Amino acid sequence: MSAGLRRTVLLVAGLAALVAVAAFAKRSEVYLLTLTLVYLMATFGLNLTVGYAGQMSLGQAAFFGIGAYVAAIALKAGIPFLAVLPIAGIACFVVGLALGFPALRVQHHYLAFATLGFNVLVFLVMRNEEKLTGGTFGISSIPRPTILGVSFEGHLAYFYFTLAGLVALAAALWWLLRSPWGRAFAALRDNPIRAESLGVNITAYTLLAFAIGAACAGVGGVYYASLVEFIEPGPFHFSTSLMMLLAVIVGGSGRFFGPVVGTIVIILLPEVLRSSSIESLKFMQKWYLVFFGLAVVALMIWLPGGILSIADRFRKREAPR
Amino acid sequence: MTATPGFLDVRDVRKAYGAIKAVDGVSFSVGPGEIVGVIGPNGSGKTTLFNSILGQIRPTSGSVELCGEDITGMSPLELARRGVGRTFQTLQVFGGLSVRDNLIAAAQEFKGTLPGRLFAKPDAGLGHHADEMIELFRLKHVAHLPAGRLSYGQQKLIDIAMAFMPAPRLVLLDEPCAGVNPSLVDQLRELLVQLNRTQGGSFVVIEHNMDFIMKLCPHVICMVEGKVLAEGKPAAVQANPAVLEAYLGN
Repeated sequence: MSAGLRRTVLLVAGLAALVAVAAFAKRSEVYLLTLTLVYLMATFGLNLTVGYAGQMSLGQAAFFGIGAYVAAIALKAGIPFLAVLPIAGIACFVVGLALGFPALRVQHHYLAFATLGFNVLVFLVMRNEEKLTGGTFGISSIPRPTILGVSFEGHLAYFYFTLAGLVALAAALWWLLRSPWGRAFAALRDNPIRAESLGVNITAYTLLAFAIGAACAGVGGVYYASLVEFIEPGPFHFSTSLMMLLAVIVGGSGRFFGPVVGTIVIILLPEVLRSSSIESLKFMQKWYLVFFGLAVVALMIWLPGGILSIADRFRKREAPR
Repeated sequence: MTATPGFLDVRDVRKAYGAIKAVDGVSFSVGPGEIVGVIGPNGSGKTTLFNSILGQIRPTSGSVELCGEDITGMSPLELARRGVGRTFQTLQVFGGLSVRDNLIAAAQEFKGTLPGRLFAKPDAGLGHHADEMIELFRLKHVAHLPAGRLSYGQQKLIDIAMAFMPAPRLVLLDEPCAGVNPSLVDQLRELLVQLNRTQGGSFVVIEHNMDFIMKLCPHVICMVEGKVLAEGKPAAVQANPAVLEAYLGN
């Protein structure tokens, strides 16, 4: 069996297992799984910006929030969910383009702080522009979609709906990253000076990396708004951006499935440990944050390439010289 | 120096950093398909001259023309679009990409439009050409490996192969032999001669390896302290007492 086929079989098996697990899971567990999928949309986008194009960003939660607020306002105004998706995606794409401009002048930690500042600004707008966003009271009663007469109101139905959306988003990103654009993003990440001397328009690709990553977060925000049915500024604080970045790095930055592993470890696992009813895991309810912190520190020391780099570690295949 | 306008005309280029004149009124021309060597001791201004021609830095004064078009101060991107390629003094490959992807990346941006490339084939239609270059540079056994995992010499070959992937009209090579195993130097020279013959581009080569430059370049320029000290046929430049003094001292 070729490596590609093996990967496809594993992927299909994983998706089938997820579908089956959700069917037998409790309501709260399905909610948690759906939340993980929603965050995964944002971390997939962040992985493109950070992992593939090498542009540091601590503003992903702002785009997640913009998507969520656009969705909340639009869905409550009666605009159909399938129309809200592109509206939120395009809105975040445009704002992402604007956020890409600092990246043309500064890099690394300077860029991290520029994007963090952007997140703080967006958070302040969400909190203070009460007429538009409801301020700290937020926006409630956000509807879940009904498409062609099929309602996704139920928790399980909405999980499957979100899963389908995530698979479509991941497929689009996979296709994009396999196109010459993906190679240009990698060239930009590895060596922008050399890339420019080879005709790579680093201005365009830098802006696109931010814009596409932002659009993914915006789409995730739309699903999030419908999932929680009530939004307020809290979940879009810059600490969420840090968590998303951590998910990308822990999973394996610049690896397609890195965000999947990272989001499970950073978002799903702490919740599972915290709320576990298994007796042997009960002590984790008090200590999970301590273990979580120590695990992240250990991981960054011994596996800076993320969990998915373990295979490379063990492979140790010497290149022919 | 040729008196008539050439393919590349560098006219009285100067680059100063405060009181230090890194390049001090350098002029020379390169004809179509010509290979010109630039030699000189360390700190003589060779790389600064290259960077002034290639838009990495803006010259203080002077002009650079390519086929009659003033390209002074143009960005590396604009120069690349005009068919000007280069290699750098230090290794400049895309370490995370495979050797084959490095070569494709080196030429894909010259195919179609930016939106069009999103819908192009993954190899941008350059897979066959990349395989030919891999064969030419004897990199087939490492073609699928990330470039960053290869030896210095192999990365140097990739670096040079990348510069030639888009078949540029003019290539400026900055110390192509630096760090290359001496046994590979002759192979590298043969490759450059072959590429010059097949692609027809003009080359300007900075190099400290005298044997390499004397065999490769029919025309050599020697720079010292930012100025052209001597130029002409390799043997004549090599025998010039001023050049010998600049290299060996009194």
